Amino acid sequence: MFATVWLKELKAHLFTWKGLVWLVLAALLFSLTCYLLLTDAELTLLDHTEMLWLLSMIIIGTAFLIVTIDASSLITSEFEKETAESLFLSPLPLGQFILGKLLASLTLWFTILLIATPYIIVTAAGTGLAPAFLGYVALLGTLGIFAIIMIIFGISLLFRSIKSTLTTSLVVLLAFTVPALFSSTLKNNPAAQFFAKVNPVDNIFSSLDNVLVDFQRSISQNWQFIWPLLVFLGVAFGFMLLAVKRFRRRGVVRGD
Amino acid sequence: MTRKPSLLLIFSLVLPAAAIAEAGQPAVAATPPLELKILSSASLNGTAGDFVTVDARITNVGPSPISGVATYLSLIDMENKQPVDLEDWSAERGAYIPAIDAGQTVPLSWKVHFVVPGSYSLVVVAFTPGCEVPQVSTITHFDVKPKQNLNPGQVLPVAIGMPVALALLLLLVGAGRRRKKAK
Repeated sequence: MFATVWLKELKAHLFTWKGLVWLVLAALLFSLTCYLLLTDAELTLLDHTEMLWLLSMIIIGTAFLIVTIDASSLITSEFEKETAESLFLSPLPLGQFILGKLLASLTLWFTILLIATPYIIVTAAGTGLAPAFLGYVALLGTLGIFAIIMIIFGISLLFRSIKSTLTTSLVVLLAFTVPALFSSTLKNNPAAQFFAKVNPVDNIFSSLDNVLVDFQRSISQNWQFIWPLLVFLGVAFGFMLLAVKRFRRRGVVRGD
Repeated sequence: MTRKPSLLLIFSLVLPAAAIAEAGQPAVAATPPLELKILSSASLNGTAGDFVTVDARITNVGPSPISGVATYLSLIDMENKQPVDLEDWSAERGAYIPAIDAGQTVPLSWKVHFVVPGSYSLVVVAFTPGCEVPQVSTITHFDVKPKQNLNPGQVLPVAIGMPVALALLLLLVGAGRRRKKAK
């Protein structure tokens, strides 16, 4: 049943010109970034591994943004188009419905990763870091994006409005991304250090730095960054479950 | 019973000692007796991205040792007529020399990274505490050629190919949908 929802979403969102325009724009951004970074690396203005780390942050950041915008409308569009009532009156369980939508969002992330793969291979050429680069972007990106999608679905079920969900989701994304871009000198106080420890985006960027710049490629060497992501994934799942319970209590039509 | 030394005796000992101490201090000079020369004038031309070494030497041509000399590079962009911020050009902008004996020559060396193409003038400056005027080497001119590579790291096939391929896919999907609607 979730497969039906998943395929319907792919046809309605991804394989349309609107959906593909996002991917073309992402490819253009990756092209420009790679070209500029490789030009700088050739002038030895930028160390090759630092360049790879910058590219990895661009790929992850772009994916987070596109998936956030897309996921914000996946569930709320059913309410806006007034198809939610008939949908939830059908024998489709809410869990299957959410799973189908979740897989559609994750498919978008994997499509962006597929587009980024040639860029990763060509920019990492000669460093021997291409497999680690690709592997860790896939692993860390999947964990982070999976968690963000669940948070956005929870927000969608609470707000039931595209505008409110999108605004809140973008604010949440900014709240995680902006502090992650601060240099280490701005993270000297205990509060900033604690937030850096729990911030999923900060953990993703720090792990990629560890792998690409410091050559610490094993899972055990990056476990300090991966386990907070797993905890965040659990928290996001818990938030989505609470939102589902509240949605069921309130009914499809509020007050029902 | 001990006799206390008289005040006259104390002054007669202290005053000559002070005069001797003062005589040991170098007099404040207008220009330090230092000679600065850039040795690598002929080999500085290069291409953006190159790393070169600026070799220089500093000689104490005066009769007395000089201490606490600070030397640094100064670079001017001759095209824009502006001094260049050496932050990206050289990590070691200054070299401190604790002491140079009379007649001694000390070698100096800076590793410089050519960042921006253009025409430049370089001098080495030596600053000595107590001297009003710093010592400056003769000017060395050099050119940095631009590095032109339109396809760094063979990225162009991917950078152009991927967006073009996706745009073609976009057109195919659009055309397919229009055909379905027409049917």
